[in-house]
Amino acid sequence: MSIENNSLASRRDFLAGTGFGALALSALLEQDARGRETASPSPLAVRAPHAATRAKAVIFLFMEGGPSHIDLFDPKPALTKLHGQKLPASFGNVLTPMGTGGNTLMASKRTFRKHGRAGLDVSDWLPHLATCADDLAVVRSCWADGLNHVGSVCQMNTGSVLAGRPSLGSWVLYGLGSVNQNLPGFVVMSDAGEPTGGPRNWGTAFMPATYQGTYFRGGPSPILHLAPPPDVDPRRQRDKLELINALNERHRQARPEDSELAARINAYELAFRMQATAPEAVDLSGETEKTKEDYGLNRKETAEFGRRCLLARRLVERGVRFVQVYCGGGSQWDAHSDVEGNHARLCLRSDRPTAALLKDLKQRGLLDETLVVWGGEFGRTPMNEGGTGRDHNPYGFTMWFAGGGVKGGQVIGTTDEIGLRAVENRSHVHDLHATILHLLGFEHTKLTYFHNGRDERLTENAGRVVSALFA
Amino acid sequence: MNRLPWLASLRHVVPFGALLAFASSLAADDKPWAFRSPSRPPVPAVGTAGDRGAARSALDAFLLAKLQAAGLTFAPEADRRTLIRRLTYDLTGLPPTPAEVDAFLGDKSPDAYDKLVERLLASPRHGERWAAYWLDLARYAETDGFKSDDLRPAAWRYRDYVIRAFNADKPYDRFLAEQFAGDELFPDDADALVATGFHRHYPDEYNAVNLEQRRQEILNDLTDTTAAVVLGLTVGCARCHDHKFDPISQEDYYRLQAFFAAYQPAEVPVGKREEVETYRRALREWEEKTADVRRRMKELEEPVRKNFLASRKKRFPTEYQEMFDLPPEKRTPLQEQIAFMVGKQVNVAGDEVAKSMKGEVKQRWEDLRKRMSEVARPKPPAPPSAMTLTDVGSVAPPTRLLKRGDWRHPAQEVEPGFPSTCDARTALVTPKAATTGRRSELARWLTAPDNPLTARVLVNRLWQHHFGRGLVATPSDFGAQGEPPTHPELLDWLAREFVARRWSLKEMHRLMVTSAAYRQSCGGDETAARLDPENRLLGHTNRRRLEGEALRDAMLSVAGLLNAKAGGPSVAPELPSEMGATRGGWPTSADPAERDRRSVYVFAKRNLRYPLFGTFDAPDANETCARRFTTTTAPQALMLLNGKLTLDVARAFAGRVRNEVGDDPDKVIDRAHRLALGRLPDADERATMRDFLRHGASFADAVADLCHALLNLNEFLYVD
Repeated sequence: MSIENNSLASRRDFLAGTGFGALALSALLEQDARGRETASPSPLAVRAPHAATRAKAVIFLFMEGGPSHIDLFDPKPALTKLHGQKLPASFGNVLTPMGTGGNTLMASKRTFRKHGRAGLDVSDWLPHLATCADDLAVVRSCWADGLNHVGSVCQMNTGSVLAGRPSLGSWVLYGLGSVNQNLPGFVVMSDAGEPTGGPRNWGTAFMPATYQGTYFRGGPSPILHLAPPPDVDPRRQRDKLELINALNERHRQARPEDSELAARINAYELAFRMQATAPEAVDLSGETEKTKEDYGLNRKETAEFGRRCLLARRLVERGVRFVQVYCGGGSQWDAHSDVEGNHARLCLRSDRPTAALLKDLKQRGLLDETLVVWGGEFGRTPMNEGGTGRDHNPYGFTMWFAGGGVKGGQVIGTTDEIGLRAVENRSHVHDLHATILHLLGFEHTKLTYFHNGRDERLTENAGRVVSALFA
Repeated sequence: MNRLPWLASLRHVVPFGALLAFASSLAADDKPWAFRSPSRPPVPAVGTAGDRGAARSALDAFLLAKLQAAGLTFAPEADRRTLIRRLTYDLTGLPPTPAEVDAFLGDKSPDAYDKLVERLLASPRHGERWAAYWLDLARYAETDGFKSDDLRPAAWRYRDYVIRAFNADKPYDRFLAEQFAGDELFPDDADALVATGFHRHYPDEYNAVNLEQRRQEILNDLTDTTAAVVLGLTVGCARCHDHKFDPISQEDYYRLQAFFAAYQPAEVPVGKREEVETYRRALREWEEKTADVRRRMKELEEPVRKNFLASRKKRFPTEYQEMFDLPPEKRTPLQEQIAFMVGKQVNVAGDEVAKSMKGEVKQRWEDLRKRMSEVARPKPPAPPSAMTLTDVGSVAPPTRLLKRGDWRHPAQEVEPGFPSTCDARTALVTPKAATTGRRSELARWLTAPDNPLTARVLVNRLWQHHFGRGLVATPSDFGAQGEPPTHPELLDWLAREFVARRWSLKEMHRLMVTSAAYRQSCGGDETAARLDPENRLLGHTNRRRLEGEALRDAMLSVAGLLNAKAGGPSVAPELPSEMGATRGGWPTSADPAERDRRSVYVFAKRNLRYPLFGTFDAPDANETCARRFTTTTAPQALMLLNGKLTLDVARAFAGRVRNEVGDDPDKVIDRAHRLALGRLPDADERATMRDFLRHGASFADAVADLCHALLNLNEFLYVD
């Protein structure tokens, strides 16, 4: 499905809304009846995917910096046995950013127990998430191409380690449109610093900016410039908008053939509605004390990530298509030293809110139509770095999926006996992307955008749907 | 005579696929249109229908012929007020002042319009406007991108070079030659060395560990950018396989890439030759005086430095460490490139070394440093430098075709060459003393008068910016997947004119903007809308929205804030306070007047575009961009309504207006309206605004609000 040809998209590309905006649009449509103008469909109008599926929205919990799969979801008894020894020669040379390929192996200090009916292995760092084991499909055989953070985060978001391709959320918004025109359809949040690499991770690159993610800041005014400065009197702001509207309307009437002018008038109306809608969406005062407690809002360690998980649920409830929540934005999971201390802290921060999100979505009947994705840009090495840390490992790592048609309580794929490389049912980032699109009803080879002579797609020239995830 | 060696050598220099392509190109000229030389089309004879259909030039005749064949003709000429606003924005990126509007309206001479065009083409603002388009193509930025997004403190020199080149109407062939091989062709011309910085604007991850991959990514960038910008070809797919639609084989891709195989980034001193000489002399003198002290300091530093190097080097695979450890003269060209990349990451400066010295050693080092200041004056400051590109030596590393584009899977070696459908032979390269000579040969071919693509691609880019859409609507894709030209004869005619007029850009601007086609009014009639809904035949002018950069310039200009100072290091306007907390912001320029310089001088940070530009569709500078989107979104409205920039500008704008005309509401309205929109309001508009002024908290606030509203109007953002 190529929704529009970008060679001509610009003049057609506008944002029409409902409510106030729809009035102006319907005025345009009346003109159509007189044969003057063909109103263009909104690029954000809701669209049907290739196939009807359950998943309608995605929440991507991005553990930025690279969580250690062998300390969280992929226990390795052989690694424990080989602790302190050099990497066996049979594994060959391993290129890592800090040159730790020749270092000795380091066992995990974690205790793993089997959880849920399926007996899923979960580390003792994640006691709350362990109670959701039967909802999780754990893919242990993920692999990626990048060695450094910025390229790898970029690849997990866009398919390529090099900047310049549209993000997963943009593809989803492009494919499905947005249910709620008063909120951005693709929202990005972080409980800490800005994600490594910044806006390229939610940008649209060669697609129109209409589909880009909106970075939500903390506080009551999450969107840049959402509210007028405090010294602007609201009544005056309304008068000003009316003046703009009146003068714009006169200007447009003299140029009835140009739908873009009407679109810009609509954009001001939409902006006005967003000012009302977005603060409501991020206002947690209506949530019960129990909910806040569940998400960990009352504890210092969990409050920031918990608030964003709760916001993610509220946004999805309100029709936002794709929500990405970074845990540890700015590479905080990057445990080159003291993986024990680093991960204990970050697991404490994320475990309770993550479990609360899954349970809350389930209880509200939203889990079925919301795909939850958990993972980082890569995993970590079984070799030690500096005695207590682990280096980057894009060769094998774990991600998990829940809801949205995913069959929970299962493990897919394996890494080798020490957790260095994915070996069975290997799933490249392109495969994971293909699978996410599939769960949303798209054939990844057919969700395309024409750019510079090619039908570009998220998965470039690769991608294989991991059908075990939902079969 | 034995003919075999001849055959063997032929096989050696001419790839087989290329030979086939060459043979078939001899058999029949069945190449796609863009690869054939521009034709010499006769100028069509067009009947005129009074004023409205009149051709002013050959250019018009080509357009009218098609329009008339479709039962259409030109729209009536726009009024003078519209024309001066359109022309001034188009040629300088700024709105005309009320005085300029009055002068043009009052000039009754028959060549008033031509004089206006000449004035604008001669304005230094012209180069600033058109440089911005070229900088988009050049993926120009002043930081590295990737994670650390390090500063490129000398990058702005390239921006100034482009502005100067456009203002001076540097011939395009020379402009290209300088950018491709300034170091080889014009080594004594500092400007040309800055120009070759064109090939330094790739995003870079200096701390990559996989250096062969990084090298390959850089080469891919240079290849793809060259093909897109100069030739209007999308060659990226040929990296992995023969192009499916265009006659670009995978081998062609790597033949083109081979021109850059020896690339080496370099920083070169700029400035006048005498200045550089003076510096070199002063440096030599300083070095002689301090030789002994420095030798003794170095002895102290060396063990520490060794430790640094040893520990920093360790993260690289052994092969790379070995390349770095080899004496430079023993390195192969490829090893030299890799060693250079290692060096950038591991080399340590003397001060850094000193920091980790301890105890007595440190004391001795400090004493020596003191001694140095006694024996000589401070080290002469290095003259300013510029980023440029040169070669690693006179021999290039081999270029191999890469299977599936993967650097880990090299196949047969290829020699530099052009797209084989144009010229299947191996390029005739003459090595220079210190460089391969390859880029000179590439520059020669790119700027040859008979190159089928170069001139067509450039005139089409100019056309796109003047008329809102290229004759080829996909300006960097002249291939089969791109849009075919709407007026192939006109495109060919323009391309030939361009070369004939010594590649003069200003001549082409003049030709385009003095045409009748350009002077049409905006918005066609019902017949045009029915018969040509996309306005492909150009039966009226396309209305255009200002780019973010032009929008900011226009706001500053009408408010009387714009600082017209040209050139120099970039300036940093204030960022929205909400963004203060994000990493990678920038400190605001200390001098407030500097913050109000033109947008082309605003710091171009890859990982953080200035928000107004980003929101209004500026590209991200990660790859070349030939055509921006024009999106219409709610965040744009929010930014103009609630952003501090517009509110501040509105207040200044209001202050200016009241200064000029006092507090009479009608005078305020008229002046503000004229400044922002270039015309007086009509009676209804005036009444609406008068009513609005009555309701402010104070008159000053009301005027500021009125000015703010004017800056938000469609009429302000769009040019008819």
